[in-house]
Formats: sequence, structure tokens, C-alpha cells
Amino acid sequence: MELNWSTFLLDIVNFLILVWILKRFLYKPVLAAIAQRKAAIDKTLSDATARQTDAQALRRQYENRLQEWESEKEKLRAGLREEISAEREKMMAALQQPLAQEREKSRVVEERRVQEVRSEAEKQAGLAGVRFTARLLSRLASPELELKLVDLALEDMRVLPAEQLRGMRDGEAADNRPIRVTSAFPLPDAQRCALTKMIEDLIHGKPATEFNEDSHLLAGLRVSAGPWVLRANLQDELQFFAEAAHYASANQ
Amino acid sequence: MFPINATVAATWGVMLFLGLLCGLSTRRLRVEPGPFQVVLEGVVTAIQDAVEGVMPEYGMRVLPFVGTLWIFLAIANLVGIIPGLHGPTADLSTTSALAILVFLSVHWYGIRIHGLRRYLRHYLDPSPILLPFHIISEISRTVALAVRLFGNIFSLEMAALLVLLVAGFLVPVPVLLLHIVEALVQAYIFGTLALIYIAGGIQSVQSKIMKEKE
Repeated sequence: MELNWSTFLLDIVNFLILVWILKRFLYKPVLAAIAQRKAAIDKTLSDATARQTDAQALRRQYENRLQEWESEKEKLRAGLREEISAEREKMMAALQQPLAQEREKSRVVEERRVQEVRSEAEKQAGLAGVRFTARLLSRLASPELELKLVDLALEDMRVLPAEQLRGMRDGEAADNRPIRVTSAFPLPDAQRCALTKMIEDLIHGKPATEFNEDSHLLAGLRVSAGPWVLRANLQDELQFFAEAAHYASANQ
Repeated sequence: MFPINATVAATWGVMLFLGLLCGLSTRRLRVEPGPFQVVLEGVVTAIQDAVEGVMPEYGMRVLPFVGTLWIFLAIANLVGIIPGLHGPTADLSTTSALAILVFLSVHWYGIRIHGLRRYLRHYLDPSPILLPFHIISEISRTVALAVRLFGNIFSLEMAALLVLLVAGFLVPVPVLLLHIVEALVQAYIFGTLALIYIAGGIQSVQSKIMKEKE
């Protein structure tokens, strides 16, 4: 443990040289490299910041533009909606009149169809009734019933209205053929005489009278003087009732 | 004129090693560093942070001197571990030389930064009566710096030698591990004290200037 002055002085010099060496070959280059990297990082950072600022500005710009587009779109959409609504109302109004007309037409056609169907049904029902009644009366028809009907006809002929009488007389006068009396069954002589007498009384003359039979009349008689005809038989009555019922329902 | 002894030779060896290491490793520094460059930059950055932590304004001026102290002492202290080599810091001449350099650097940086007159005036502060105590403090801390480092490293080497002589093979390994730790700690202490002395010399003048301004 002694101080060697030469070592002391040499170590001072050595250390100073080492300071220079490290400064020259270590601190300066390493610090320069660090500074260079820091500058590069700062530059990258500043570039990134600038890009971020630009991006944010662009984003704001695009957001504003999008907002404007959105509001414009809403405005246009509202306008279009109003336009569509107006056009729709206009078209609906234009359609209302033809629609009402068409509806009325359909209603009338339908009513007519229903009426025709009903009329046809009633007609068919009447005919069916007539057929049924005719079948029934054909079974009930007999000379006795016919005699009763002839008596009724005689009674009615006594109280014929003036108009009927005039038609009978005009018919007999216009037609030179004899007055025809058609019955379902052969009439007994008494009945024939009564009828002949009644016709002569009504016409005030002695017209030729012809008696014949037609089984389609079922029972009763038909008196024809030219165009004038007195119907007092079941067949004509049934036909009359069927037509009357048909016309009555058709006129309702 | 100057006889070359083992201490000087070891110092030159350390200088050569450090010079070659730095010269070769810093030839191709890149912006994107490799593993060795990362270590190198880590060492320099750690030194820079330590120096600027104490002296933010004048860190870059003091960095080469204090950094070289740390690096040189760390290597020089560890040289003694290698069998057959003599650690430079186990010689009082080397530690004294370094302590004298620290002593001179305190004044050098103080005068360079604040000027001779202003720097010398701080020794009279707060009272000229304290000047002798200032001078005693300067001398004693320099001596303490030299003797502390010499004492620690010399004693470590002696202890390792004695253990190696007395005990068998592998027994001195823990002592050698202790030597490594102690060598690094002593290098750190010496460099840190040098940094604090330099900073003290600069900042005492600065605080006086601030007081005068106030």
C-alpha cells in the first residue's frame, strides 16, 4: 500500500485517454443512433398525428355530409310520400264514380237475375202445382162433377155482364160456324137443352149449336162463339190460375 | 522515465478491451437495433438517465466523465477475479489518480459553467470563516474516495487469495461471487459520489446566483 507517482500520473493520463475513447467511440455514436431513432419515431408520430388529424377532419366532413344527405333524403322522402298520397287520393276519387256505377250495375244485374230465378222457380212451382192439381182433379173428375159445373156455368151465364154478352153476340154474328159446346164427358140431353136454351136467350136468336167431347178438359165445358170463349172447365181454370199466379209474381 | 508495472499494464488492457469493444460494436449502429446494440444502448441510456436525474441541465457535459468512471471501474474491479491478473483498482495509485481526477473535474466543470471568479466565491459562502472547512472537506472526501475504493477492492482480492490458499477447490466461489457484487457496487458508489460532487460544485453556485437574483 504505497503511492507510486509514475503509476499515479500514468493512470491519470490513461483515464483521460479512456474518457476520450469512450466519448468518441461509445457515447457519441450510441447517443446519435438513439437521437436518430427518436427523431424517426417523432417524425412517425407527428406523421401519424397529422394523419389522425386529417382523418378526423375527413371523418367530421363525411359525417356532416352524411347528415346533410340524411336530412335531404328525409325531405325528399317526405315530399315523395305527400306526392304519392295526393296521387292516391286523386286516383281513388277518380275511381269512385265508375266504381259506384259498376256496383249499381252489378246490383241491378244481380237483382234481375234473382228475380228471374225466383220467377222461373215460381213458374216451375205453379206448373208443378197445376200438374199435381190436374192429376188430382183427373182422378176426381166424373160426369157428376161435370153436371155440377154445367149447372154453375148456367148460373153464371144468366148474370153475364153486358160487355161479355156483347162479345158473345158479336162473335156469333161474325162467325157463321155453329156455337161449339165442348165437354169432357157426353152431356145428357137435359143439360144440352138447358144450354141451348140459355145460349138462345143470351143471343136472342136460334144459333146452330154443336156439342162435342174433349177429355183434356177433365170436367166442365167450354163454349166458343167465334173468338169469344166461355171457359167453365177444370183444365182451363187450372191453366188460368197458373198463369194468373205467374203474372202476379212477375209483377211484384 | 515511467516504469510500467502490472497496474499500468492492467489499465492499458482494460482501455484496449473497452476501446476495441466500443470501436467494433458502434461501427454499424442501425435505427432498428440488434440484441447487442440494445444492450449497448441500454448501458448508455441508463448512464444518461442517472446523470440527467441529478443534473438535468448539464447532464450531457458530465456524462462522458462519469460514464467512463462507471464503466472503467466496473471492468477494472472485475479484472482481479481473473487468476494471474492484477486489478488496477487494488492499487492505491490508481484509485488516488481517479480521486484526484474527480477532485479536479469538480472544479473544472464548476469553472467552465459559472466562471472562475463566481465559482471560487462560493467557497466564501455563507461566511469566509468557513473557507478552511470547505478546503478540508474537499481534501478529505477526495482521500476518502481513493481509500474507500482501494480498501474494498484490495481487501476483496486478499480475502479471495487467502480463502483459495486455505480452503480447497471450489470453496472460494461464493467469495468470488461476493467479489463481483462488491466490485459493481464499489464502481457504482465511486461514480455516483463523483457525480454528486460535480453536481454539488455546480449547484451550490447556482443556488447562490438564484439567491442573489431574489
